Amino acid sequence: MRRNIRVAPDGTRDLLFEECTARRQVEAKLSRLFRLRGFSEAMTPGIEFYDLFDSGNPVIPAENMYKMTDIKGRLLVMRPDSTLPIARLVATRLKQAPLPIRLYYTQDVYYQNHGLSGRNDQRFQAGIELIGCAGDRADIEVIALAAEALKVCDAGDFRLEIGHAGFIMSLVKQLNVSLETKDLIKQYIEDRNHTALCGILDTVEYSETVNFLRNLPRLFGGEVVLEAAAPLCTDSSAREALEYLCMLYQKLGALGLSDHVIIDLGMAHKNEYYTGVIFRGFIEGSGDAVISGGRYDTLLMRFGVDLPATGFGVNVDSITKIMLSRGEVAPPPPPSLLVHAGSGFETKALKKAEELAQTGVCCEFSVFVSLDDAKDYAKKRRIPKILIVGSEDKEIELETGS
Amino acid sequence: MKPIRIAVTKGRLEKGTIALFDKMGFDTAELVEKGRRLILPVYTPDKKAVEVVLAKAADVITYVNHGVCDLGIVGKDTIAEYGGGFYEVEDLGFGRCRFVLAAPDKTDFYAGYAAKTVATKYPNVSNSFFEGKGMDVRIIKVESAVELAPLLGLSDAIVDLVETGRTLKENGLKVVEDIMPVSARLIANIACMKLRKSEIEEFIQKVEENALAQ
Repeated sequence: MRRNIRVAPDGTRDLLFEECTARRQVEAKLSRLFRLRGFSEAMTPGIEFYDLFDSGNPVIPAENMYKMTDIKGRLLVMRPDSTLPIARLVATRLKQAPLPIRLYYTQDVYYQNHGLSGRNDQRFQAGIELIGCAGDRADIEVIALAAEALKVCDAGDFRLEIGHAGFIMSLVKQLNVSLETKDLIKQYIEDRNHTALCGILDTVEYSETVNFLRNLPRLFGGEVVLEAAAPLCTDSSAREALEYLCMLYQKLGALGLSDHVIIDLGMAHKNEYYTGVIFRGFIEGSGDAVISGGRYDTLLMRFGVDLPATGFGVNVDSITKIMLSRGEVAPPPPPSLLVHAGSGFETKALKKAEELAQTGVCCEFSVFVSLDDAKDYAKKRRIPKILIVGSEDKEIELETGS
Repeated sequence: MKPIRIAVTKGRLEKGTIALFDKMGFDTAELVEKGRRLILPVYTPDKKAVEVVLAKAADVITYVNHGVCDLGIVGKDTIAEYGGGFYEVEDLGFGRCRFVLAAPDKTDFYAGYAAKTVATKYPNVSNSFFEGKGMDVRIIKVESAVELAPLLGLSDAIVDLVETGRTLKENGLKVVEDIMPVSARLIANIACMKLRKSEIEEFIQKVEENALAQ
């Protein structure tokens, strides 16, 4: 049998040198931002029970989770998402904590893509969850923080798209059609499939709502969208959602974000746990959303705790990739010194290297016996200096040819 | 500002796309005289370049999904088989054909209780069709000349694209059931649509006006 020992599994890869630097930089910037805004770090297990992610409306399709079994034969998955584990954590261990609870995380999630799609199965995400408060203050804070996250990463021009999970839901609910047709209508609106949407709406009894739904795929953009939608939207809960978005849009505008915020009334996140405002972030150079988030007021009920919550996750890999493609991240520099021991002075040299490292000098201990080999190595590795430790220490400069 | 990049399905949809661009007033000279180049510029009436990438149908979807092309022109057949992840913004009206279930003349595909075997180039389309009917069938993927499968006794029926039905007839097959109509679609990458909203909307608007008139 052929053994797979030279390649990493599909959808995963090794990171090396500046790839690591870039990833750590993005991670550090985001962690710092979240910490400075009062969020505390949480780390959840890399493997979880399958049951946690399995519910009536699947957040992640079963076929897209990496599965295994524990010693009792119970089904486990590699963490496909961080929000559910954090909800579990809050509902169990933080029941008595003062509200709201602010947590952030930076960790991998795993998602099994179809083979050879060029997508990552292992994705590094950073994100926040703000748990235990409803209302517009929390929503604005979280959306503004998402914008801030893209700014601190220096990811270039960005767009934040905001919508409302309840909007389409309340409109579609009114239609006198089967559940399947409703799902199709939602799907077509989400896909911007105007042709199919019109096709299916032609079979539904005419009403103002039907007429409005027809135009929904075209309704995204700035304030005009809200203005255009207002007279068309007669349903009271849809209207409420619309007014709420309008208010958010104005407040985000006051924060100087109006050029970056797009309202999208046709947005219906695939993640069914969202209940209110939902949003996604896009940057130049990434074909997928780099931020995804929203309000999920009923999720913690699954664990028997009634707490409203909101949050978002950032796809750190996408941002890292853009930083690398811009060529801004230098490969790690070589050590500034090679510490070479003369014969019999090995321990002295090793001590010397320790001392230097303690003072912050990056130095490498020479494992070569002959000085010529050490010089040769230092040249290849572009180490500019050799410290020869003997009865008397001596430094020699090398031409590294750089 | 970099030009809009659009992936166009080679072959069957190429002609219709060029006709559409011509109608939109684009200068398509370089696309017609393409030689061996793979990225070709066409020019809008106001002399802006739009980059056209010619690709196989499934690759059009891959390019648009990854955002390396902003837009794509691809058949509904390919979309149905390879799935979404992008916006399907316009039915372009050309490249019309349909997915059908076809079986040899004088046989009744639905008769009996034995599980049926179906040959196709489109396993996902076939699967979801039979799933919708609550039928458990065995799907065999073949790469070309699907009509051969029932003739050779490999399968009881086929699921395939049909334009006129002539190939079916000549091989002694008949349409058992229509599965879905197919035509060329304009698709858009979600992120590109958000980041370059006005440019792309303008393009789509123009496509829409001219596609409707076809």
